[in-house]
Amino acid sequence: MTIKRLLVFLPLFVTVVLLQSYFWVPTFDDQTRGSDRRLTQYIQGSIGDAQILNPILNADTTSSTIVGHVFDGLIDRDKNLRFRGRLATSWRIYEETYFIPRPGGPTAGELKDRIREEVSAQSVPWAKEVTGVEIASAADEKISIFLPPSKKGGKPRREAVTIAYPRRVRVALKNVDQDFFKKLKALLGRDAIADDPARYLPGGLDERVKKAALARVNLIEHNPIIIFELRQGVRFHDGHEFDSGDVLFTYESILNPRNLSPRVPNFEPIKNVETPDRFTVKVTYKRLYSPAFGTWGMQILPEHLLNKKTLEAEARRLGRDPEKFTMRDSGFNRSPVGAGPFKFKEWLSDELIRLVRNDDYWEGPAKYEEYIMRIIPDPLTQEMAFYAGTVDSYGAGTHQVERLRKDPRFQVFSGLSFGYTYIGYNMRRKPFKDVRVRRALSMAVDTRKIHKYVLNGEAEDITGPFVKQSEHYNKRVKPLPHDPKGAERLLHEAGWKKIGGKMIKDGKQLAFKLVTNNGNESRKAISQVVQDSWKKIGVKVSLDRVEWAVFLEKYINALNFDAVILGWSIGLDPDLYQIWHSSQTNRNQLNFVGYKNAEADDLIVKIRQEYDLKKQIGFARRLHEIIYRDQPYTFLYVGKWTALLDRKIVVSEPGKDGKSRYRKILPTATGNYTYDFRKWLKIPSVPRFEG
Amino acid sequence: MAAYIVRTAFFKIITLVIISIISFLIIHLAPGQPSQIDPLNPRFRKEDIARYRAAFDLDKPLWKQYYLFYKKLGSGELKSFKDNQPVLGKIWRRFLNSLPLFIVGTILTWCLAFPMGIPAALNPGRLYDRSTTFLSYFFISFPGFFLAYLLILGVARFLEVPVLGMRTFGQETAPLLYWLNDRIWHLVLPSLLGAIGGIAFLSRYVRVQMIEVLDSDFVRTAHSKGLDENTVNYVHALRNAALPFVTMFGLLLPALIGGSVIIENIFAWPGMGRMAFEAILARDYPIVISLNFFAAILVLIGTFISDILLVLVDPRIRL
Repeated sequence: MTIKRLLVFLPLFVTVVLLQSYFWVPTFDDQTRGSDRRLTQYIQGSIGDAQILNPILNADTTSSTIVGHVFDGLIDRDKNLRFRGRLATSWRIYEETYFIPRPGGPTAGELKDRIREEVSAQSVPWAKEVTGVEIASAADEKISIFLPPSKKGGKPRREAVTIAYPRRVRVALKNVDQDFFKKLKALLGRDAIADDPARYLPGGLDERVKKAALARVNLIEHNPIIIFELRQGVRFHDGHEFDSGDVLFTYESILNPRNLSPRVPNFEPIKNVETPDRFTVKVTYKRLYSPAFGTWGMQILPEHLLNKKTLEAEARRLGRDPEKFTMRDSGFNRSPVGAGPFKFKEWLSDELIRLVRNDDYWEGPAKYEEYIMRIIPDPLTQEMAFYAGTVDSYGAGTHQVERLRKDPRFQVFSGLSFGYTYIGYNMRRKPFKDVRVRRALSMAVDTRKIHKYVLNGEAEDITGPFVKQSEHYNKRVKPLPHDPKGAERLLHEAGWKKIGGKMIKDGKQLAFKLVTNNGNESRKAISQVVQDSWKKIGVKVSLDRVEWAVFLEKYINALNFDAVILGWSIGLDPDLYQIWHSSQTNRNQLNFVGYKNAEADDLIVKIRQEYDLKKQIGFARRLHEIIYRDQPYTFLYVGKWTALLDRKIVVSEPGKDGKSRYRKILPTATGNYTYDFRKWLKIPSVPRFEG
Repeated sequence: MAAYIVRTAFFKIITLVIISIISFLIIHLAPGQPSQIDPLNPRFRKEDIARYRAAFDLDKPLWKQYYLFYKKLGSGELKSFKDNQPVLGKIWRRFLNSLPLFIVGTILTWCLAFPMGIPAALNPGRLYDRSTTFLSYFFISFPGFFLAYLLILGVARFLEVPVLGMRTFGQETAPLLYWLNDRIWHLVLPSLLGAIGGIAFLSRYVRVQMIEVLDSDFVRTAHSKGLDENTVNYVHALRNAALPFVTMFGLLLPALIGGSVIIENIFAWPGMGRMAFEAILARDYPIVISLNFFAAILVLIGTFISDILLVLVDPRIRL
């Protein structure tokens, strides 16, 4: 009866082998069962896997988190979101300006002498700013014009054009001054500077090429310059010393078209990067573009591991064609070497990425020995991993935090996100052309109710397009009141009449369609709340939800919508050109609501050209006011992020007596709780702190 | 026999070519772009997008893309949009991760389905039969992902042990026995969940087959010969009842790719189903189409093997 016995004992045996394993696995309270390594590891849960661990190539959040631990940039932001040095110890920003004298007027030499005289006589208020006046000799500049395909399916084209610059006057300034040429014109007269760019282009150009080339001729030119002093004695994880060559190499790699770096646009305004000595870098820009400074937070690559020679050797080793082998193909992207606080150790796809402490870090080693990014694609099971003690932190949803807030085993953090959610109105279309209609619609919506009921209170009012906790945000702009009666009054002013519960003008009810993307539950709920609020003032709204890709293609990019619910996530740099400038209102551009305001345009340009933080903040606050007054969007809310940590994780700092002392993790003024991550440590039991 | 094999193989290849065309077209005609080439990224200029499209062949006509795609797949040059890794290598590594899950799941299915089905067939209509029938239909109709969540919640809340992924972290330096059992423990829930539907279904099938065979003449003959109950049931009857299951073995192959998308996602298991799911979300065409293609190959090979096995095993089939 072997078969019968087999049919009984085999299943029994399999079951026993499988189930007995339970007794060998560590639990939450006994995380060191089997091994005490766990206390020295910090495990971060992540929804998605990293894609490419190269700072100039990555484009996803998981990769950039890892890259942020493995690499260091020249600068980053401190507790108050101001810039501070990392691989750079200090920097200086000044500028050189150029202009072409008007043909037929005074020559470059005459103008140079004139300015020199005025400056040395201190007869103009800006004389102290000038550090030098020279002649720049005539020179040709070769530019390449990109022509998008003229018809669908056609090939894009590039056209080389040479601009012949005559002798120009160069004035060097101590600080960047976007109004310098206004001041100079006041001194030299309006006619002193050339005004016809076509003169400096070769004849016989194709119309399309000429139009594009004209915009590239600089009759006047600002060249802001940044000089970075680099930190000496910093080593990459393989022991090689960091120097200015690495910075230059990183810049060149980004611009190298073979690498297809998504960072190209950030560095495109750079004219050139020079390395006067091993620990100095000089960056010269083509034009005024203040957000460019922040891009030097860019992490620095080790030149010796990725330069042409090394890549060729790698290609040959792998038996690949060295001509076709680029940085994108290099094994470096899966085992990066940087100069940051953690070294890369291993990467198991869709499972984990393991980093180990860099004991040689210039700011001193971190307390944790390992940093592990663990990939768990499902938020609910992430929470389960958190309960089991196999994840120290994860991107917890607000409802999850609510559930665990009172649990003494955990600590909770929350803060405002960088971004906001809004209703955008297509200002090209009839009812929305009128600012009174837009204000009325905003006033009819009770945003507080949305915060409370749709978002569980994890949201705040926001009135403008800047990060709410940044200095550029204008706190004096007060949100419109929730006032349905006032909204109706505004609509009456705009010519609408409420008849039988319907807002009517020229025999038609005020009616439109509100679209948003599928799969976002809070946006779905908001659209229903809003529909109801508008119905109360007699506005009829139909709702539609479509899949994201279709939403973009059919509605947003085609500019074919009445109103949409969408959100922006934004960075700290206050450049609003793409989203709000009137030149960006065409198809496939980001000012899809079609917002146009001359004063706003002027401020937007001024903001991106201003290098003085105080002045920039002034412009930004004014712009904030104007945009809120015009209500192209109904600003709905800025969301809050929340985070959970095991309470056994603390900050360890040296006390006065030299011994380490533990303290609670405290978020910075701007809400960043991981600011002190290098000093974090997990201790075996939950600590008690006084006060 | 040889002619039969050649003919079958020929038609399977034709089918494969048609599948390759259709799966390629469906993905390319769906709206949306690979996420690397997001035209909505405000910092992207038109020329950057054009450059990306050219690098990934997306600017060429569809028939040419199709040709280049399968050419590159064949030569191993094809790379994922997402991380620039060669597609074949990626699929192979994921295949190795999925394999233990598949093996343990299969063992569980076949080990438990027979002992569950046979006694039910021997005593039809009794309490055991009725309760296993109820349980089987319950598990067939109960959504697997929901059961997975319930199990995970239960184990994590009440036993407070980790259940997700392939292993517990911090156990790298633990003694071998701890390490090994930790790996086994992580296999238990996902493979059981993966197997549960199969057990329910297969045990029903075993029961029906057995009942049918037990009713046949040769079983009555065996009884009247005076053979004891166990020999009749487990040797004579079971062998004949097991015949159709031989062919089912072949059909198991495609489950290697498709069967575990949901379970692998919930359990954070870095396997093939998970890779397929993520590739679809990121519109990583090379991975999606390649997996589709391999799944098609596996299905065709599976049916091919079944066809041949049946001919070999069942003496009643003559070509």
